[in-house]
Amino acid sequence: MILVVLISILFLGGVLAWLSEGLDSRFPRVVALAAVVIDLLVMIALVGADTEGAGWIVQLNAQWIPRFGISFHLAADGLSVLMMLLTAFLGIIAVGSAWDEITERTGFFYFNLLWTLAGVIGVFTALDLFLFFFFWEVMLIPMYFIIAIWGHENKNYAAMKFFIFTQVTGMLMLISILVLAYFHYVQFGWFSFDYFDLLKVNTSSAIEMWIMLGFFVAFSTKLPSFPFHSWLPDAHSQAPTAGSVLLAGVLLKTGAYGLIRFAVPLFPEASMQFAPFAMTLAVISILYCAKVAFAQTDIKRLIAYTSVSHMGFVMLGIYAWNEQALQGAVMTMLAHGLSAAALFMLAGGLQHRIHTRDMESYGRILGESAATILRRLIFLDRCIRYAGSWELRR
Amino acid sequence: MITSFNDLLPLLPLLIVTATSVIAMLMIGIRRSYIATGSITITGLLAATLVAVSMMDWTNQQVTPLLIIDQYSLLFTVVVCASAMVLAVLSFPYFFELDDQREEYFLLLTVATIGAIVMVSSNHFVSTVLGLETLSMSLYGMIAYPLHSAKSAKFPLEASVKYLVLSAAASGFILFGMALIYAQTGTLSFASVTELPAAGLGDGYTIVALLMVVSGMAFKLSLAPFHMWTPDVYEGAPLPATAYLATIGKAAMFVVLLRFMQISDALSFDSMVTVLALIAAASMLAGNLLALLQDNLKRILAYSSIAHMGYLMLALIAGHYVTGTIAVEAITFYLIAYVIMSLGAFGVASVISSSEKEFDSIKEYRGLFWRNPLLAATFIAMLLSLAGIPLTVGFIGKFYIFLSRS
Amino acid sequence: MEDLIWLLPTFPLLGFLSLALTSGNLPKKVVGAIGAGSIGLSFLTAAMIAYQFLSSGETHLVVEMWVWMAVGNFTPGFSFYLDGLAVVMMLIITGVGFLIHLYSAGFMLDDPSYSRFFSYMNLFVASMLVLVLADNLLLLYLGWEGVGLCSYLLIGFWYEKPENGYAARKAFITTRVGDTSMAIGLFLLFAELGTLDIQEMLHAAETQWAVGSGLAVAASLLLLGGAVGKSAQLPLQTWLPDAMAGPTPISALIHAATMVTAGVYLIARTHVLFELAPNVQLLVAWIGLITLLMAGFTAMTQHDIKRILAYSTISQIGYMFLGLGVGAWSASVFHLMTHAFFKALLFLAAGTVIHSLHHEHNIFKMGGKRKQLPIAFASFMIGSLALAAFPFTSGYFSKDEILIAALELEGPGMILWLGGVLGAFLTGIYSFRLVFVVFFGESKGHHEEKEVAGFSMATPLIILMVLALFGGWIQIPVDAVFSHGEVHAEEHHISGLMHAIMIAVPLLGIGVSYLFFMSKIFSVEKLMANPLATRLHGFWFSGWGMDALYNFLFVRPFVFLARINKNDLIDAVYALLVNISRFVHVMMARTQNGQLRWYALSVGGGVIILITLGVVL
Repeated sequence: MILVVLISILFLGGVLAWLSEGLDSRFPRVVALAAVVIDLLVMIALVGADTEGAGWIVQLNAQWIPRFGISFHLAADGLSVLMMLLTAFLGIIAVGSAWDEITERTGFFYFNLLWTLAGVIGVFTALDLFLFFFFWEVMLIPMYFIIAIWGHENKNYAAMKFFIFTQVTGMLMLISILVLAYFHYVQFGWFSFDYFDLLKVNTSSAIEMWIMLGFFVAFSTKLPSFPFHSWLPDAHSQAPTAGSVLLAGVLLKTGAYGLIRFAVPLFPEASMQFAPFAMTLAVISILYCAKVAFAQTDIKRLIAYTSVSHMGFVMLGIYAWNEQALQGAVMTMLAHGLSAAALFMLAGGLQHRIHTRDMESYGRILGESAATILRRLIFLDRCIRYAGSWELRR
Repeated sequence: MITSFNDLLPLLPLLIVTATSVIAMLMIGIRRSYIATGSITITGLLAATLVAVSMMDWTNQQVTPLLIIDQYSLLFTVVVCASAMVLAVLSFPYFFELDDQREEYFLLLTVATIGAIVMVSSNHFVSTVLGLETLSMSLYGMIAYPLHSAKSAKFPLEASVKYLVLSAAASGFILFGMALIYAQTGTLSFASVTELPAAGLGDGYTIVALLMVVSGMAFKLSLAPFHMWTPDVYEGAPLPATAYLATIGKAAMFVVLLRFMQISDALSFDSMVTVLALIAAASMLAGNLLALLQDNLKRILAYSSIAHMGYLMLALIAGHYVTGTIAVEAITFYLIAYVIMSLGAFGVASVISSSEKEFDSIKEYRGLFWRNPLLAATFIAMLLSLAGIPLTVGFIGKFYIFLSRS
Repeated sequence: MEDLIWLLPTFPLLGFLSLALTSGNLPKKVVGAIGAGSIGLSFLTAAMIAYQFLSSGETHLVVEMWVWMAVGNFTPGFSFYLDGLAVVMMLIITGVGFLIHLYSAGFMLDDPSYSRFFSYMNLFVASMLVLVLADNLLLLYLGWEGVGLCSYLLIGFWYEKPENGYAARKAFITTRVGDTSMAIGLFLLFAELGTLDIQEMLHAAETQWAVGSGLAVAASLLLLGGAVGKSAQLPLQTWLPDAMAGPTPISALIHAATMVTAGVYLIARTHVLFELAPNVQLLVAWIGLITLLMAGFTAMTQHDIKRILAYSTISQIGYMFLGLGVGAWSASVFHLMTHAFFKALLFLAAGTVIHSLHHEHNIFKMGGKRKQLPIAFASFMIGSLALAAFPFTSGYFSKDEILIAALELEGPGMILWLGGVLGAFLTGIYSFRLVFVVFFGESKGHHEEKEVAGFSMATPLIILMVLALFGGWIQIPVDAVFSHGEVHAEEHHISGLMHAIMIAVPLLGIGVSYLFFMSKIFSVEKLMANPLATRLHGFWFSGWGMDALYNFLFVRPFVFLARINKNDLIDAVYALLVNISRFVHVMMARTQNGQLRWYALSVGGGVIILITLGVVL
């Protein structure tokens, strides 16, 4: 039940924020902040719950569309709770970073912000694949609006690119989900989209591979990993600061979460076979995007490419197929979430003040100071992430 | 066969709509009143809808060899009547300021609805053609309606003539195909074509006949490669007429096609499957690619309907392979969803337009969200739904279709 | 008492936090007190711990604090390991560190970023202490990265000048190359031996790996990569001269006394691994030798006072590597310590000179300064004597031990020894060239200067002078650490001739320097008239062209590759996809030409095609 509360606070908060704009354009941000803070507090109650063992802390399983065996199944384990805490924390940060930056149409902005967060929390807790897909898409559309309405000079292009990449690959995942459900139907005689039911499905290895690839493509686009990363730099550089914070800090993590929660457990054998390719892609991501990041002069693009690079570590960790690496991947997810969010806030602050994202002109305007400070911060960020990547040995 | 009064009872919705048209015609003859004609039409359609809804649970019978009144046909009677009513409501303000005779538009609308109801209830070639032609003839008039108006939709006459000529050709194909099938089966009822006497002209003959019928129907559904008229006609027609063509015109035709395919078992011919799959694939591709850089709202919706019909075609093919009713369910759901979405999208466009000034360039919608959020939200919801974004009806429809395929 | 070892890095860390969090809002006196005081407290604690530890007679001691992380069988602890080597290192770091902090309190007084300076310095000391006290390689690596960060921050301390930022980046990236190698080494060690605890790991390596086995070679090579990066040895030495862009106390603390010797510490700490890979150990010696000679030649040609000292640092660390390579572990650590004394002294004195002369770095624009700057002169004299290994100064003892050990080595020992002696000769020349040019001869310009040396700046210099002179008599307690495999100089007998040579050569160097720069009997100008000498000078001056070489080999290809792919090739693939659909759209849109006859044709043609397909298929 507590999970439903978590999600509905955000949904309702979003509506309330939108409505409150009619009273005063400063109300929405207060409402949004209150909603996220309450959410965080409720989550802290979850942390107190029994987290020992591999058990699920909270379960909620209600019928939704019984015709297809679709249920409203929410549950959280340690990983979910960790990710939710990150989400709520960065949600507060995002509201904070939008506090003064967003002055137009505040109501609708915070509505979108909160709905994105609600979608993300849904993604982290849904255990019905249809429900999961639903939340997966719910976080997409408000984000599209955030970029397309409050973005910078090339916002429509970036928003559309973001939308198409996620939508197309999301469609692949949907097809995979349906095929999986169909095989469940063939095997057991009834439809189910429930995670635990689908875990039992046996398919031939070729089919398993194809279904797995559907999931993999969707998740690795969101992650993003080479060669599906090219939406990220555009989306990041055009999004308002709060959007970038959410994108880098939270939305990218849903891709990794999806890999950990769904792609690998549902298709262990196919994933095992695929692991060398996935790791190769991850390594290419790490190196290639680091290289491209080096060439950027737009600070937000630079940070975006480093994000891709670091998420490559996460993927490497997931497919390295041992416990340390997996823990390292989760660690890197958290570390990257915090540090990338911080970096985007700084970049946003700079852009807000100097009205450019071009680093080469920073030096001229601020003296070397800004550039040096930035480099330092980027470095600090690397240090934090390094702690995470540490466990990726073997 | 003696037809009793009880046999006619299931036809009540049809009769109500017919009566409405008669009353409206008489009204116009006595005294021209736009408001009165409009009200009578709307009331009549509402009554027909309600009656059809109340009949759904207990009616299931063949009325004369021509019409079958079962749950399926009643469901679509409801859809047709309700949509017609909505369109009548939308038309009312739209034509309010037309500098011409305005009342007959409602007459045409009602008559077209009669044709549509006949089509959704038809399992006989005669009633199919009757319904189809009633519908089409009225549509020609509706499309060309603001013909004499100085400031009206851009090219109503051109659109109407195009539709008339091409549609007549398509009807010709349908009729010819029917004749060929009749020559084989000896009946004008929909009947299985697979168990034809072996001494006949063989499968090739049957396939030619089937494809003639299907091509004609595909034209009405604007499936590729018969889709080319669609954007021109959509653009030229006044918005409510476009909406009628896009919703009721398509839905009624598809119901007939579905019934025909199911009863005739046409898909047991492999080559039929191949050709229909090609049509479906071509429609989806053509619709989406043509819509890509389009900036005229009506043309975009036209292309989108091409693609949507392609998806439906896919479900139709899948239905042949999937056991159970899931494919039919999927098609029904999708079709209704499609009708609702199109009604919504055209509805919003027609609310902000009038016969004097149509908003059909997407540039004119810029900023609508901040001027009229509710209308814009509806519009967005409809468009997203047409795009198949999750949890919109369009998404559930696509979901159904995918599920029926897998 | 030993339980309080956690206080060592805690004091500077608290200093860092309090300075960083107040972000420069404290009065300068308080900042200085916090900055230097925290290190002072650390030093006192270290001294007490050292006393207790040494008098207890224990060989080593592990203080576990908490488990850092526990993932499966990987449970690195946050724990410290104390033995003779760690004691020496922590005393050097806190002791010399404290003196340099004290000096900085005066030296940096005019700087607007006074507080930032001390916060970085404190963070550095904390990291350095973690590095030398860590009982596992992961913790060591944490310190290792921490000092790298601080080095970067402090080299670029005066960030207003772009070239300082450049120097900082160069230092960071170059050491990063080594760090990466070291990280891979750590991964390898963990993967093969299943632990990162240094003592356990060394023990496991000893029992599992044969001498000269491939894994031992690989692991020690990778660690060596880290060491040469941090300690500015060939081939990663190019960053150190540029690192002189930072404030002079930084050069004294980080780029002379402590951080750059971390590589020496690392090798000494893991010497068991190197003993398992004798070829790699020999490679260490050769790297040391070549580096010390190259840097020695270069130092003779420089005219920036700090760059001369930087090259001499590289050269002296070369000696330490030479010592490590020939197995003279304790001699290397000994030299590390004496070097910390006299090089810190030299840098601090150089700081005084530069400070007094309004940031003049060129030694040829100085001259005759021994009157105006007496303390600096004394410091330079003593420091240079120690540096040149003048008999019975601290540098003499340590360098002597290394050279003797080299001579004792079978095989290439003689060559290594000869190289080392040649290096000592060069050291004599360049160190006294500096002294003679700066402090003797006629005075040039800068007449108004008076030595800027308050109490806080003079005291450290005096203490360091004493240490540089007499530090050679300190007995370092590292025998237990290197109990096996050590080449003990005392056990061998070196002929008197060799001793004489080793004493004479530096003096000879000083003499040559005297002839060139003091008495002017030989003229540099005449020498330079020779085109060969000019070219050689240019070559040495550029640091043997290493910068240009790396620029050509790595930097330019890297930048080129980055530039050509700035817009991300992958994006072009998607753009192509977009363009294809756009093209198809345009093509298809042409069919929508509005002509009825064409539409009719399409209907008729469509039916014909479909029927044909239907019948044929």
